[in-house]
Amino acid sequence: MRKVFFPLIPILVIAAMVLTACPAPAPTTAPAPTTGEAEGETYATVVEAGELVPPVVAQPCEGDACFCRDKTVTVIVNTAGEKGPISGPFYEVRDEFEKATGAKLEIVEVPFAEHFPKLLTDLTTGTGQYDTSIAGAWWLGDLVGGDYILPLDDYYNDTTGKYPKWDVEDVQPGPRDLLFYDEKLYMVANDHDGQVMYYRRDLIEDPEHQAAFKAQYGYDLKVPDTIQEFRDVAEYFNGKDLNGDGTPDNGLTMHLKVGGQGMFHFMSFSAPFVIGPDNPKLYWFDPETMQPLMDSPGHQAAMEALVDLIQFGPEAMMGWSLGESWDHFLRGQAALTFTWGDLGALAQQEGSQVKGKTGAAPMPGTTQYYDITSGQWKQVEGVNKVGNTTGGSWAGVISKFSDAPDCTYFLLALMAHPEKSKVYAYRGWDGVDPGRFSHYLPPAGTNTIDGYVAAGWDPGDAESYTFAYYENFGSELMFPYLRIPGTFEYWTALDIHLSEAATGQKTAAEALKATVDDFNAITDRLGRDLQREIYVKSLGLE
Amino acid sequence: MAASETPARPRRTDPTKFFFIMPAVIWVLLFTIFPLLYALYTSFFSFRFGRINQFVGFGNYLRLFTDANLHNGLRVTLTFVIVTVTVQMLLGFALALLLNREMRGKSVLRAIMVLPLFATPVAVGYLSITLFYEINGPINELLRALGGAGIPWLSNPFWALVAVIIIDIWQWTPFVFLVSLAALQGLPADLYEAAEVDGASAWQSFRSITLPLMTPILWLILLLRLVEAFKVFDIPTSLTLGGPGRATEVYSLFTYRTALRFFDHGYAAAQGFLLLFIVSLIVALLFGRIRSIYQEERS
Repeated sequence: MRKVFFPLIPILVIAAMVLTACPAPAPTTAPAPTTGEAEGETYATVVEAGELVPPVVAQPCEGDACFCRDKTVTVIVNTAGEKGPISGPFYEVRDEFEKATGAKLEIVEVPFAEHFPKLLTDLTTGTGQYDTSIAGAWWLGDLVGGDYILPLDDYYNDTTGKYPKWDVEDVQPGPRDLLFYDEKLYMVANDHDGQVMYYRRDLIEDPEHQAAFKAQYGYDLKVPDTIQEFRDVAEYFNGKDLNGDGTPDNGLTMHLKVGGQGMFHFMSFSAPFVIGPDNPKLYWFDPETMQPLMDSPGHQAAMEALVDLIQFGPEAMMGWSLGESWDHFLRGQAALTFTWGDLGALAQQEGSQVKGKTGAAPMPGTTQYYDITSGQWKQVEGVNKVGNTTGGSWAGVISKFSDAPDCTYFLLALMAHPEKSKVYAYRGWDGVDPGRFSHYLPPAGTNTIDGYVAAGWDPGDAESYTFAYYENFGSELMFPYLRIPGTFEYWTALDIHLSEAATGQKTAAEALKATVDDFNAITDRLGRDLQREIYVKSLGLE
Repeated sequence: MAASETPARPRRTDPTKFFFIMPAVIWVLLFTIFPLLYALYTSFFSFRFGRINQFVGFGNYLRLFTDANLHNGLRVTLTFVIVTVTVQMLLGFALALLLNREMRGKSVLRAIMVLPLFATPVAVGYLSITLFYEINGPINELLRALGGAGIPWLSNPFWALVAVIIIDIWQWTPFVFLVSLAALQGLPADLYEAAEVDGASAWQSFRSITLPLMTPILWLILLLRLVEAFKVFDIPTSLTLGGPGRATEVYSLFTYRTALRFFDHGYAAAQGFLLLFIVSLIVALLFGRIRSIYQEERS
C-alpha cells in the first residue's frame, strides 16, 4: 500500500482538541439556579464569595432538650454547592442545627431541572424521603393543590420557645403574601425575589454625559422613571465605552435564553402596561372564563417595547441565562439592566467592576395602561409603577410525609432568624435576597448602614439598593404572581414565545397569540373549572 | 448391560436450564416488558398534580396529530437526523479510507480521531456553551482573527441548530470512522493485488471492490446512527435548551418536558410510542435492506 503522510488531518484534529480544551474568558456554566427557573443555569463568575458568615443564634441542647435526637432531617435543594446560592447557607447552619436539636441534617443537592420532579415523585408516592424542599413560590399551586405539604401556622404560633423565632410581619407585604396560600402559612421566609432596575450611578451623574444627553434628548439625564426614559438612556449609552477598556459597550443587558428566565423580564416589564389603579389584579386570565388575557393591547404594547429595547443590548443575550447577563453588568459592559437582588450584592464582591457605581430603583413605569376590565387605555397622573415579586422566592416547605416535621421547622426557622437573614441579604453569592424591614435602612427599616459597610458594601450602593427594594415590595400596585397548578408550564410557554419574538421568528402579536393558544391548551388539559376555582382563590377574588 | 454403560443424555425437561435462563427472563420482564406495558397503560390517562387523573382513551394519541409544538419537534429532529447522519457517514467513511493505509503516526492519529466518542454528550454540550460563546468565545475569536465576523451561534435560530449539528458531527463521526476502518482492514488484500495486476486504477478498485464489499457494513452503521440520532437529547438540552424559541427543540427534549417538567405523563408516553414506531419502521426497512444484500451475496 502507498505510504502517505497526510499532515492536514492531525493539524485539524489537534486544533479541534485544543479549541475544546482551551478556557475561554466567557462565563463557565454550572447548573446552579439562584432565582426563579433555569435549566442548565449559570451564575455570575466575575466575583468571588467572601468570608462573611452569619452569627450562631441557637444554643447547643443537652439531655431531653435535644428533642430531635436520632432523627434525620433531609432537605432537597438546587445543586449549587457549599458556596452556592440557596444551598450554601444549609452547609453553614448544619453544625449549629445538629448541636441545637440532636438531629442529623442531610443535604440533597439536585440539578434545578430535577428538583421539582424528584420532590413531586416523592410526594405522590408518599415515600417521605425529603422532609423539606427549598421550593419556588410558584410550586405552591401544585403542592397545596395536591395536599402534599403541611401548613405551618401551629409551629409558627408556638409559644413554648421550642423553635427559633422569626417574624412574618417583618417580611414586606409583597413577598409575605407568597408565604401564604389560602390564608395558611406554608413557607418559612428565606429568599425574597423581585426585579428592580439597576443603573450605573457614575454614568448618570457624569456632567459630560448629562450635557450630551440633554443636547440629544432635550431633557436632563436622570434615573429612568418611565419605560420611554429607560429606552432613551439605553439608546444613549449603547455603543459607548462604559468601563474604560477601549471597546464599545451596551446600553442594557437582559437574559433571554429559553429556560434562562426571560419570562420574568417580561412580567416585570409589562406589569405597568396592564396593571393600574382600576385593574390591580387581572393580568393572566379572565377569572370568569379562564380565557388568557395575554394578547391584550397592554401586553402587546409591552412586548413590542421589550423587543425594541433588544437593539441596545448585545445580540448574544438572546442566548444568555441570568448569570451571563449579570456578568456583563458586573464587568461594566452595560449601563442598565433589571433583575433580582443578587446583582446588587454581587456588585459589592471582589472582582466586580461596578462597586460604588451601582444604583438601583424600582422598575420604570408607564403614563398609561390598558385596563382589561373596561377594555380601554387609561392615562394616569404621574407615572404608573407596579411592584413585583417575580422570581422563585425560594423558601422552605415541609412535606406531609415527613417523620420529623418539628425538627424540620426548627431548621427552617433557624435560618429565618433575623440576625442570620441580615447576613444572607448582605451577601451576593448565597442567593438570598432582601425583602424584610430588618434588611432596610432607616426610615424604611431597622438595619444600619454600618452593617452593610462592614459586609463590604459601598454606602451609596447600599442605600440605593435597599430603598429600591423597599419601594418595590411596598408598592401600592403589585404584579399578580401566578400560583395555580401548571404555573411552570404556562410560564414555559410564555418564555418560549418571548424568545421567538426577541429573535424575530414571530411578531409581538403572533408570539402573544401563540402564548394564548398554549395557555388554553394547558388549561383545558388540567380542567378549566378546577383551574378557575384555584385562580380565583389565589387572587383573593372570591 | 450395554444400555447401562451408555452415558445418560440430559432430559429435554431438565429444569436446570431454566435456572440459567431465568435471570435473563427476569431482566427482560422487569426492565423492558413491564415499563413498556406500564407506559402503554399510562398513555390512556390524563394526569393532574403528578397523579393519574382520568381515563382519556385514545385522547393522548389523538393529540399527536394536532399538537403543533410536537410537529415542530419532529421537524427539527428530522432536519437534525438528515444533516448529521449524512455528514457523519460521508466524513467518517472518507477518513477511514484515508487512514486505511501505511503512514507515519497512523496509530496516534487513529487514537486522537476516536477521542470525541469517549466524551459525555451532556458535558460536551455544556462545554460548547463556552466554545460557541458569541462575544469572546474561541470559535468567534478565531473567525475574527481570520478576518471574518462573529457568528450568532446561540442567539440566532438558524445558527443555533447549526451549532448543535456541528457538535453531534464532531462527536459521532469517529464512530463511523472506527467501524468503517475496522471493516476496511478486514477486506481481502488479494482482491486489490489482483486488480492492481489487471491495471485497475484506484478509483476502479474503490468502486468495484471496496464499495460493494463495504455496503452491508455501511448500511449497518447507517442504521445505528439513525436510531441514535432520532433519540438526540443531551446536546441540545445542555447547549440551547431547545431555543431560541423552539428552533432546537428536538423530539426527545419535547417529550422530556412533557413528562418531567409538566408532568403530563400520559401524553409523554404516547409521544414515546410514536418515536418507537418511527424508529422501529426505520430499523425494519434497513434490516430488510441489509438482509437482501446478504441474500444477494449468498446467491
